[in-house]
Amino acid sequence: MSEAFEALERAIRGGDVAAGAAEAARMVQAGRSPKEIFRDCIEPTLADIGDRFSRLELFLPEMMEAADVVKAVQEALRPHLAADPSLRTSKGKIVICTVSGDLHDIGKNIVRAMLEVNGFEVRDLGVDVSPAAAVDAARETGADILALSALMLPSLPYMRDAIDMVRQNETLRLRLKVLVGGGPVSRDWARAAGADGYGDDAIEAVREARALMGTAE
Amino acid sequence: MLGRLDDVVERSLRGPSLEEEAFNRLVVQGIRRVVREYEIRPEKGVLVSHEEALIDRVWQAALDFLAGCGVYCQSTGRVIRFGREEIEALLHEAPAEIWMGEGSDARLERCRSVEDPRPPLNMGSSIGSPVSEELFVPVMVSYAQEPLVDVTCGPSLMTVRGREIRSGSPLEIQAAWREVEGMREALARAGRPGMAWTGMMLSMTQAGQLSAAGPLGLRASDLHTFGVISELKTNFDILNKLTHTLHIGGIVDPYANPIYGGLAGGAEGMAVMITAAMLALSVIFMATCVGSSPTHPFHFNDTGPELLMASSLAFQALARHTHLMTNLTVTPVGGPGTETLLYECIAFTVLSTVSGASRILGPRSATGSIPNHFSGLEARFNGEVMRAASRLRRNEAEEIVRRALTKYESDLDRKPYGKPFPEVYDVETAQPRPEWLRIVDAVREEAVGWGLGLDGVGTE
Repeated sequence: MSEAFEALERAIRGGDVAAGAAEAARMVQAGRSPKEIFRDCIEPTLADIGDRFSRLELFLPEMMEAADVVKAVQEALRPHLAADPSLRTSKGKIVICTVSGDLHDIGKNIVRAMLEVNGFEVRDLGVDVSPAAAVDAARETGADILALSALMLPSLPYMRDAIDMVRQNETLRLRLKVLVGGGPVSRDWARAAGADGYGDDAIEAVREARALMGTAE
Repeated sequence: MLGRLDDVVERSLRGPSLEEEAFNRLVVQGIRRVVREYEIRPEKGVLVSHEEALIDRVWQAALDFLAGCGVYCQSTGRVIRFGREEIEALLHEAPAEIWMGEGSDARLERCRSVEDPRPPLNMGSSIGSPVSEELFVPVMVSYAQEPLVDVTCGPSLMTVRGREIRSGSPLEIQAAWREVEGMREALARAGRPGMAWTGMMLSMTQAGQLSAAGPLGLRASDLHTFGVISELKTNFDILNKLTHTLHIGGIVDPYANPIYGGLAGGAEGMAVMITAAMLALSVIFMATCVGSSPTHPFHFNDTGPELLMASSLAFQALARHTHLMTNLTVTPVGGPGTETLLYECIAFTVLSTVSGASRILGPRSATGSIPNHFSGLEARFNGEVMRAASRLRRNEAEEIVRRALTKYESDLDRKPYGKPFPEVYDVETAQPRPEWLRIVDAVREEAVGWGLGLDGVGTE
């Protein structure tokens, strides 16, 4: 990576929100385009952080903090990003939650952080979310993907309810993909339930999300 | 105990108010701080630590962390927090031993020390793994009939009378009672009707567990198990289960399963987090016994080197500084019919035994997530390992754990889930098939060659 981006990369890796936002604003003022900043610094840095997490060379807190820095950079550059649609930085919009009857959130949080550092815009609804609330949120936010997590076997019927709601909606089923994962969910179950994608773990969830968005590498 | 419960409930209603995300960050910052301040730096490559100064610093770090962080109540958005002196005082009130079960099938669990020569109790079971209805009884007979199995736990029914079970619905209550009926039948068939057991692992809401806890269901002499949400979170459903258990005089047997690479980070943070979580179970949940099965985020096991190291540090810290009864669950990736499963049991159980665990649960074979992939024979083998390991010193255990790890570490990514119960057992007789027995015998013989005294165990 170019030396010009060293300070911003350091801020992302170190989770320094103030330094990251300030450095991004400084670079734009100095004539660097936001597109370059994202393409040549933020995206490769986040991709590396995601890769290192997949090898457990770093952990969830570092991913959460890197994602925080990037959100602050997006905020700092908002006027520039809003002015030019070609500068859209998101790889896709995802609504994520743990479904009804299940209160486990760490697995879901790891998937969320992995999606964020891989360029997805994620809205997290939390845990114990009803199928109707999950589908409503996906509709209201114009999400591309609804990502559903469950750790407990008796939560799977609620996951299937959400998939059915999407499939039975003429409009939603054309534009909203459903991605599922978690302990009791298998590839076979996901296929039988009509999900569009299945992630065995956070790494596979990112791979599947990219495939669903047509951006698989 | 009910006075203490009132105090906990009061703190859940009046404690500091915090958004859940802010609490998560409090956990991250707290763990980082104590890992730095108490210099939690395990020696690289050492699995069964014998560095007592480090173990004692893990203990101090966990106390400091828990006093600063507390436990988050999702139902109220408040933190249940106890000061360091309160925690230390309440730990003294915890029981050091407990009888479980009834009549001649009852067993005494006692706190153990590091390198304690008395073996831990063997809770032989697949612990909440998904099971088909028709296999529940034969599977449970396969565990309960084993002389080296002391207490047990049911798998989770996948259906009840053919219907998919839905959390919080009447079907959850139906499933809980079906589990009680199945367990009673299995224990009777095995000739051990008084054996203590726990179950209702799929009852995330209070409905199933509360319904089936009582004289006709899960008795006071059985274990009443509920999980705390990772990391350090609870809610009124969990506190309601606790309240009911205290009122019926049941054995309070909660667990907390921190996730490696999650909010606590790597092995150093995990050692502190596991220790702190066990303290929280004792202090806030008034646990009779406290337990854990720390979890890998991609393999979903606890037999990898980082978690072995963290578990040993944490459980030695608890054994050196408290009289708590502590338990660990072996959750291997390997399943029935694989050598991998047996090597994982050797590593985890040898390490847990010399580290002072008073009860070892499992094996929760094939990560506890593959339907019907478990059998009683691996619990027999694990019981043998516990007895042989109770004669070891930590340096001897280190050598055996390392040799076992070498045999399976490269298999963890491959996840060799093995074969389902009907392929390794005769379902009618509930006896293991010769091929599975041959594999167990071969690994047993190999481990004897490593210095693990499995020869003669079970005939004592």
